[in-house]
Amino acid sequence: MPANPAIKQVSEVTWEIPQSYKPGMQVPARLYASKKLLDGMDSGVIEQVTNVACLPGIVRYAYAMADAHWGYGFPIGGVAAFDTAKGVISPGGIGFDINCGMRLIRTNLRYSEVKPRIKELVDLIFDLVPAGVGVKGPQNFAQSQMGDITSLGVRWCAEHDLAWKDDPQYVEEGGFIKGADIAKVSRQAISRGASQFGTLGSGNHYLEIQVVDPDRYLDRDLAKEFGIVHDDQVMVMIHCGSRGFGHQVCTDYLRTFESAMRRFGIEVRDRDLACVPFSSKEGQDYYSAMVCAANFAFVNRQMIVNQVRDAFSRVFHKDAEALDMHLIYDVCHNVAKVETHTYDGTKSKVLVHRKGATRSFGPSNQDVPAPYKGIGQPVIIGGSMETGSYLLVGTQKAMEETFGSTAHGSGRTMSRTAAKREWRGAELQKKMLDHGIYVKAATMDGLAEEAGLAYKDISEVVETMDRAGISKKVAALRPIGNIKG
Amino acid sequence: MPFRFLPDVALADVAFEAESDSLDGLFETCALAVSDIMVDPKTLRTTSERSLSIRSESLDRLLYDFMTELIVIKDVDSLIFGEFEVRVSPEGTSLEAVAKGEEIDRERHRLRNDVKAVTLHLFGVKHEGQTWKTTVVLDI
Repeated sequence: MPANPAIKQVSEVTWEIPQSYKPGMQVPARLYASKKLLDGMDSGVIEQVTNVACLPGIVRYAYAMADAHWGYGFPIGGVAAFDTAKGVISPGGIGFDINCGMRLIRTNLRYSEVKPRIKELVDLIFDLVPAGVGVKGPQNFAQSQMGDITSLGVRWCAEHDLAWKDDPQYVEEGGFIKGADIAKVSRQAISRGASQFGTLGSGNHYLEIQVVDPDRYLDRDLAKEFGIVHDDQVMVMIHCGSRGFGHQVCTDYLRTFESAMRRFGIEVRDRDLACVPFSSKEGQDYYSAMVCAANFAFVNRQMIVNQVRDAFSRVFHKDAEALDMHLIYDVCHNVAKVETHTYDGTKSKVLVHRKGATRSFGPSNQDVPAPYKGIGQPVIIGGSMETGSYLLVGTQKAMEETFGSTAHGSGRTMSRTAAKREWRGAELQKKMLDHGIYVKAATMDGLAEEAGLAYKDISEVVETMDRAGISKKVAALRPIGNIKG
Repeated sequence: MPFRFLPDVALADVAFEAESDSLDGLFETCALAVSDIMVDPKTLRTTSERSLSIRSESLDRLLYDFMTELIVIKDVDSLIFGEFEVRVSPEGTSLEAVAKGEEIDRERHRLRNDVKAVTLHLFGVKHEGQTWKTTVVLDI
């Protein structure tokens, strides 16, 4: 992006665009980025974050995190909080893939134990976790069960022996967000989703076997708090969302909102910012449906975890409990939630939209699981399949500055079409194998699109948020096996 | 090819533009583009047939709803189509279509990306001279 004089640096990695930048801005915009990331950011981010700043009822700032890039309406990497009485809710601030998110599971296996069996393990997980176009999950639920499943999320799984007893505690919101109402979800969404539990999807979704990477970063004291006690400990990371269910919910309510907005006299600078008052019937209906989709995604990731635990158990001939395959945490990165935050000296309930952004709650927060209250919630930020990912921890500074929000990933720098022209999937697969990463993909085209060079530098993103004090690094995680849809 | 992909639009998703000298042709072309993103058409047979009847409030919405319906059928019934015959009503608010394809076969089909939704970004049906045109961005 060419230099923009409107963007003022306020600290080493924090930038602001004043309200005067664009007519209609209710608040300034705030960006978290190193100079390098800011220079590389597409100009669409500036356009979009300042459009978000114009939305009714927004408070404090419209935010763009270090991984920000152009999206539909909100930038990906966008965060905005709204007064619950006067503000709006916008599907563009959540995304089509409601509760696309990350789950991290530990094992007590060491790299030397897993490496010789990585092909066997990845091939088995590939068979057990359907990925790609039109896949069906290994366990179909009746449509009549969808109400309970999407209301209770991972708690429903635990009640039906589809999760370990302590799994819900290690999922954001205890495994389900309150306020779901299946009556607000269309028949099409329910039909799409009912057979998709336990499926990975495609695009940038993945399941990765990883090893702690102390050469890149490891805070041993903090890592121990999450059960990471060896420098070469093996982890599993899952990145996926609410599948066709969530996409259909977003599709349905974008249509509802387009016509409803006219009744409320709301005009937006971008039709992808379609929104209605959160307190309106349409706003509340969408929220209830969105929560169903968010809980669907928690359950989807749980079903995948069950299959992963099964695969490890079969390959290593020990049950998953003996392998200590407990959840470290599960985070949403496309969601809107009612949260209580203190800003401008007052504690208030706000609707926080995080689109391609992760919650980053600090120590002592009531929503952080008890075992982590002393240190803050885990934050899982995924990189590309070649560069690896990071585990971080939330901070009190995030609570003070960003409504407890941080980045979510590395963000694309190149379109899928351009990536396919640049690289061949089979060549990339071989190159990754040469670098010690065994990849199994449902399609070679899909693999090419996910080449590491099509993404920003994850380490730069994570370093920025760490230097900003918004999320603190705990451990870098290097991929050794990967499944892609 | 009556549709072409747009590599510089929507980094994380897929965008195409389509054109035809008839409205029916535009709808058929868009449907073919949606399928092409999901499967190599050379590997697809047309052994099954599905009739579609759709009503919407406007021409734009009709095209949007038609493509959305193909995505829903892919997820619910695991069907992908490779041939389409579409008849759009003169008012542009309804259509009848016959879609021919088959159930997804992971062994035989060269599958590509999973299309999950039609976005509203840049979307709209235009009539320029003798040509009907549209730009579509799909969430994958």
